[in-house]
Amino acid sequence: MEDKMKDRIEQLVDYIMKHCLWQFHSRAWDREKQNEGVLTKTMQILCEEPIEKETPADRCYWVDAICLADAFKARYSWLATLDKAELKLLMQGLKDRMDYLTITGSLNEELTDSKY
Amino acid sequence: MPYHEFECSKCIPERKKHAVIKGPGEDLTSALPLGYLNTIPGSISERGCAYCGAKHVIGTPMKDVIHMSHGPVGCTYDTWQTKRYISDNDNYQLKYTYATDMKEKHIIFGAEKLLKQNIIEAFKAFPKIKRMTLYQTCASALIGDDINAVADEVMEEMPDVDIFVCNAPGFGGPSQSGGHHKINIAWINQKVGNVEPKIISDYVINYVGEYNIQGDQEVMVDYFRRMGIQVLSTFTGNGSYDDLRAMHRAHLNVLECARSAEYICNELRVRYGTPRLDIDGFGFEALSSSLRKVGLFFGIEDRAQAIIDEETARWKPELDWYKERLRGKKVCLWPGGSKLWHWAHAIHAEMGVEVVSVYTKFGHQGDMEKGIARCEEGALAIDDPNELESIEAMEMLKPDIIFTGKRPGEVAKKLRVPYLNAHAYHNGPYKGFEGWVRFARDIYNGIYSPIHQLSFVDISKDEIPTETPFLTQKMISDASLSEEITSSQELREYSGKYDSISPLRSKTYPDFPAQKKLSVV
Repeated sequence: MEDKMKDRIEQLVDYIMKHCLWQFHSRAWDREKQNEGVLTKTMQILCEEPIEKETPADRCYWVDAICLADAFKARYSWLATLDKAELKLLMQGLKDRMDYLTITGSLNEELTDSKY
Repeated sequence: MPYHEFECSKCIPERKKHAVIKGPGEDLTSALPLGYLNTIPGSISERGCAYCGAKHVIGTPMKDVIHMSHGPVGCTYDTWQTKRYISDNDNYQLKYTYATDMKEKHIIFGAEKLLKQNIIEAFKAFPKIKRMTLYQTCASALIGDDINAVADEVMEEMPDVDIFVCNAPGFGGPSQSGGHHKINIAWINQKVGNVEPKIISDYVINYVGEYNIQGDQEVMVDYFRRMGIQVLSTFTGNGSYDDLRAMHRAHLNVLECARSAEYICNELRVRYGTPRLDIDGFGFEALSSSLRKVGLFFGIEDRAQAIIDEETARWKPELDWYKERLRGKKVCLWPGGSKLWHWAHAIHAEMGVEVVSVYTKFGHQGDMEKGIARCEEGALAIDDPNELESIEAMEMLKPDIIFTGKRPGEVAKKLRVPYLNAHAYHNGPYKGFEGWVRFARDIYNGIYSPIHQLSFVDISKDEIPTETPFLTQKMISDASLSEEITSSQELREYSGKYDSISPLRSKTYPDFPAQKKLSVV
């Protein structure tokens, strides 16, 4: 079960890495906000929950989330078999993995520069 | 860490950490070279200097400006006309360049008087141009010429002119990227907020990090206009100086080349609250997604979708014609900075080529993260390569073609590897749906050129086949294709015009009346 989840998360990570740019802002604090903003909203879209998109920043996260959710649904048919609790677990796992790859485990020495 | 040590660089051991091979199971936490560091002495880098990055890459694409370098004439000469950032005002900024022509005596006695005289002379020679960018160089920076003071003096004497001072001398960073940073920050500090624009749409963007190489900007602006979006400014290709002073009034910054221009987007976000949306103008899928995102942001995604549908229907059969003929060809993707990640996945997915190596001359580790993430396993990633490493890589990887600048490109030709100009393009634009097909056509022409085939024959030892008839590109490329593909009624070669840009300049656009109260200045 754990392997299945891990494999599914890797499929989603691979899509993000090959198609998206939002996860690669230049500083660690930016990446934290981006990962949190886009992936939370993607989870909300997949779980059909209400989404905040009133501020310009939220709207930016939301447009990336819409495109991501659509791509996930189109490519990974197994997503439709998951219930809300499973989807949330999956998306939390994805968020943790993305945080590791782009922030906590990143070898990019510029992430902690204090200025842009 | 899967570092790759080049045989030719064993005498420079520090170089080892600047190249990695993305092996099976490797990810960004285990495969990432060092980047954006001072070039190691002994390694003959292909990089440009910080002045070059500030002036040549970012400053000079501004179209209605006198671009003046304060320094030796060679600095200007070497940053003039080497990149095809065209403009819709008869390419003023490409035709003319200006330098104060500092010589030894100015190093001793100073060159501020010379600078002032040159500025005034240039404005008088081109009385319709009222804007100037002024670039520091190593020579003038080292002697301490106060170019800000001179600019202020001239602006006081000539109230109708405006001068932007860029303090990015050549030594001001490890590479041209240091200059990108400096000019971004200098522009927002000195100029943004100084002009109030006329807002004519409910949807207003700055298009940032786009340099109009062979018309890329005009292609993208065409899409935005078809969506009813006002492009307030472009930073900086085909961009106007005064439009760029009004960047603070846009609703959204649409960022194309994050390497060269994320700094100004980040600062606009901090200072003015304008959000940053990163997009990809290269490749059908990435471009479609980008247009859709911009449309979604403003609630006009239907307009974006109409463009995507129309353009895809028109150009996809032509892209696929080339994909069938490029499938499996090995590519070294060796551009300056951002194109390694803009193109790495898109050319693999949409043209069928295999990216066997990526490199960047001046990119940061962030660019390598994006590039390596988008490559398949086995790709060799190199930071700031020297010429010998490039040669060793080509001999090892045996690519069918490389995409790079013209200097390393000429080296590749000598090794009988065709190259495409990744910086200035061969027959661009490459952005947009049609542009992506033009890129595919250039790759096809490069790989299957009949002349290139002849280069494999060594006339000093090989027998010259006199019986073999001349082979056209299509005879070479189609030899191993199935009849289903070669006789396909659906697939077709590029059918666009030689000049795809000029018609855009006289085009009329649909009227989308603004709903909100707009400013009129």
